[in-house]
Amino acid sequence: MIEPWTVLAILAMAGVTYLTRIGGYVVLRNRTLSPRATAVMEAAPGCVLISVIAPDFVSKNPADLAALAITLLAATRLSMLPTVVIGVTSAGALRWLMG
Amino acid sequence: MSVSEITLGHPAAEARGAEFRRGAAASTPVLLGIVPYALVLGAQAAQKGLSVVEVPLMTGLNFAGGSEFAAIQLWTSPPHVLLIAAITLLVNSRHFLMGAALAPFLRHLPKRKVFPALFLMCDESWALGLADAKRRAASGLRPAFSLAYYAGTALPFYLAWVIFTTCGAALGPVLGNVERYGFAMAFPAVFLVLLRGMWKGFAAARPWLVSLVVAAATYLVVPGAWYVAAGALSGLVSAWLLAGEK
Repeated sequence: MIEPWTVLAILAMAGVTYLTRIGGYVVLRNRTLSPRATAVMEAAPGCVLISVIAPDFVSKNPADLAALAITLLAATRLSMLPTVVIGVTSAGALRWLMG
Repeated sequence: MSVSEITLGHPAAEARGAEFRRGAAASTPVLLGIVPYALVLGAQAAQKGLSVVEVPLMTGLNFAGGSEFAAIQLWTSPPHVLLIAAITLLVNSRHFLMGAALAPFLRHLPKRKVFPALFLMCDESWALGLADAKRRAASGLRPAFSLAYYAGTALPFYLAWVIFTTCGAALGPVLGNVERYGFAMAFPAVFLVLLRGMWKGFAAARPWLVSLVVAAATYLVVPGAWYVAAGALSGLVSAWLLAGEK
């Protein structure tokens, strides 16, 4: 049920992850950033988010690419819930239609 | 605080409750999006030999989906602890930047509240909490960062993640491939809406385009989760370079 090496790996993951979570706050809490550093910080979240979903933009499945285009269009006009619903239904429908 | 104040509801506590519910409402659509991911992760973990006790141990202590997917991909029996830790660091290095971006809004809070709050910082709670703090700052509300709102976005998310990854581990063999129903599109949909919320014109979004192109190219050429680090870093470098041209 519980393997010692598995628990060790999980604890290592948890420790590393918590350090990444407090690191930025601990290091940068009492500093004022230069305009250039501020520009980088402001671009950072978008850069990370788009990098995480980048594989979807080069999907080899045409149905998924078409669904992504529909979802992208929905995201520019609608709020979160309708966009998610449109994204999931269009992906499901297009996969079924285009095999 | 007297007993009557507790039973009748302290005004400050009531305000915190309202803020918590506001955060929970904002995170609901995102919750919908992560349930299939949690099920898939739990099912994959079970396939790699993790038990229904070990899966919630991982998702509850680590609570960072991207690194968990990456770790499970690389899981062996017994696991390579150093490899798993290094991949976790790589995938979660974005937390440094996220924490740094959040830091200016946390100055009014004591550390005993900040450190537990940061444990719950994930892409979604961070994005919602930061966007809300910026909106409140723009409309003159102080403090701009609402800890109760943030907790409202993060706690349901945490519980859903732990519960549904456990369900995935238990039901995995029965569910089969959840991804074929189109649920995989929920994740990009959520992220695209979050990006739209951060949109400040095309000029400000140029680093995002660099990130997208580099991350996609890296994904096609290099195996593993390197594309996240490559895309994020190239975007940051271009943001730094573009800021210098003014």
